[in-house]
Amino acid sequence: MIVEGGVLPLDRANVDTDQIIPAHFLTGIETTGLGKHLFSGMTGGAELLAAYPAASILVTRENFGCGSSREHAAWSLADRGFRAVVAPSFARIFFENAYNNGIAPVVVDDAAIDTLLGEASVRIDLDAGTLLTPGGAQMRFVLDPLRKEFLLSGGYMAFMAAKRDAVRAWLARSAQAQEETAFSAPM
Amino acid sequence: MPKSLFEKVWDAHVVEELAGGNALVFVDRIVAHEITTPQGALEIQRSYGDELFDPARIVAINDHVSPAKDTETAIQAKVLRDWAKRHGIVLYDLGQNGICHVVAPERGYVEPGMTLACGDSHTCTLGAFGAFALGVGTTAQGGAMLAGCLVLARPKVMRVTLDGRLCAGATAKDLALCVVSTLGFKGGTGYVLEYAGEALTTLSMDERMTLCNMAIEAGATTGLIGPDETTFSYLRGRENQPTGEAFERKVAHWRALAADPGARYDREVRIDVAALRPMVSWGTNPGESVPIDGAVPADAEPASLRYMDLECGRPLRSIEIDQAFIGSCTNSRLSDLRAAAEVLRGRTVSVPTIITPGSQAVKRAAEREGLHDVFQDAGALWTHSSCGPCLGMSMGVLAPGSRCISSSNRNFPGRMGAGGRVHLASPAIVAASAVLGRIASPDELVPAVAVTS
Repeated sequence: MIVEGGVLPLDRANVDTDQIIPAHFLTGIETTGLGKHLFSGMTGGAELLAAYPAASILVTRENFGCGSSREHAAWSLADRGFRAVVAPSFARIFFENAYNNGIAPVVVDDAAIDTLLGEASVRIDLDAGTLLTPGGAQMRFVLDPLRKEFLLSGGYMAFMAAKRDAVRAWLARSAQAQEETAFSAPM
Repeated sequence: MPKSLFEKVWDAHVVEELAGGNALVFVDRIVAHEITTPQGALEIQRSYGDELFDPARIVAINDHVSPAKDTETAIQAKVLRDWAKRHGIVLYDLGQNGICHVVAPERGYVEPGMTLACGDSHTCTLGAFGAFALGVGTTAQGGAMLAGCLVLARPKVMRVTLDGRLCAGATAKDLALCVVSTLGFKGGTGYVLEYAGEALTTLSMDERMTLCNMAIEAGATTGLIGPDETTFSYLRGRENQPTGEAFERKVAHWRALAADPGARYDREVRIDVAALRPMVSWGTNPGESVPIDGAVPADAEPASLRYMDLECGRPLRSIEIDQAFIGSCTNSRLSDLRAAAEVLRGRTVSVPTIITPGSQAVKRAAEREGLHDVFQDAGALWTHSSCGPCLGMSMGVLAPGSRCISSSNRNFPGRMGAGGRVHLASPAIVAASAVLGRIASPDELVPAVAVTS
């Protein structure tokens, strides 16, 4: 799958999920419609988004998405049309949330980020693991082979649903199951 | 082959190895709160026949905004409540609830060797019991509700050995801030932290939870502490735990979880904490913390300085505050409230001060000891339990530019309110600062006015 689009350059490290979407916008029960709150906890966030209205690829610095587990961070990016976040590193929970919401978390090194922050657009080939700038520079990255399937098919829950019988079988035969029955169920 | 505590827990829960170094990991317990659960619950209702893997493994807690502050949060609480009722899931609701990371252990739902997931990053708190407890997103929590498992990349294990014993004035919060500032804000990413060392031996479960609570602030998946007599004593006789021989059989199993001698770790960090002083954050992430006797570092990050309106070399004790908060999943348990009360007894706060117990059970226990009188006599606001001001969602949102000293866990820009500034510290430091109106420690306070108790 190819993701191609305008770059939103966010030249900051440690962008936490409170900045991506503050807690007072976490009051809904649906996963949609959160794009309007994207970066509303960030100084200059609204101006940045306004300056790059067509952007669909976020390029940023290390440890993106740290802090709270709120999947609203990924939902707000997806709702705003972002298909990839390119950074030297991600916080674990955001990294998982991105894959589960159609956003490719693309890891490249700091030097690549230096280049990409100055590009207007990039073309990302998720299957080949390549990232191409308009000037012809190419960078390579590796996606998690399993989570890539979730990304392409949107299928985390479907994947889990298909595992239920195997999990029940494991539970029935594991020693863990015997110990579990000895201990209190919460009811 | 000798195993670490984490390896023992992990290995006992791997259902299937998956591509890319991932594994399908069984989840013994799911803690579900109203902010991050409804979306997954509704998805399962819409697409999977409303069928849960095992409702008896789930504990539901309305905790973030309880009571509801508006229609939207009322709907969140109602969705969680209706879902719990529909499936026979145990629910801690208004009046019996509190912060999920406080309620779950105090009700006996967390024990050594278990895996536990919750859609909340501070679930790492519960690693204090020697459980593999981690925060996950809504989709991952939903997957666990649906199929009893998480998909996880196997984390690396870092042993963090805390040598020496804490001296007077230093607390578990200071340990936590020390660990985060030593490792750095992302120094633990990709790891679980397995704590070890002499400093742990004297820590209560409350204090261990405070320490593990902030593992996520170093980016770690979680923090774990090997279960010992302190752990077993905490659980013995607790509700939702068996009694008598059945409990002691569990203890025998839990003892075997201790890390084996010779266990191998992906990384080793040793910190001598014998001389640890109270720590206070100056910047915009918890790693930007220094001893209270110190100053804003010379190499401070300019963006953090700008946001906090501070300059390099500024002594911490000279920083004036506008508000104080004692609460959050980091420091809101009975021992935290006692520490704050010891400072506030017979004294008066000079800035608006909010004190929020971690659960309604903690609130009642505190009131039986008269702590609510101490706080209110001092002029502080004593509230019901809530996540409250910690995340700027309700009950004490900061105004832009306002500076708060807080016993919570995050000092991110805007965390406690747009433009608000947060300094993290222990309850005793927050209490002393509330009295003096600037960052301060209890030893600076003049003797309190004697009060009859």
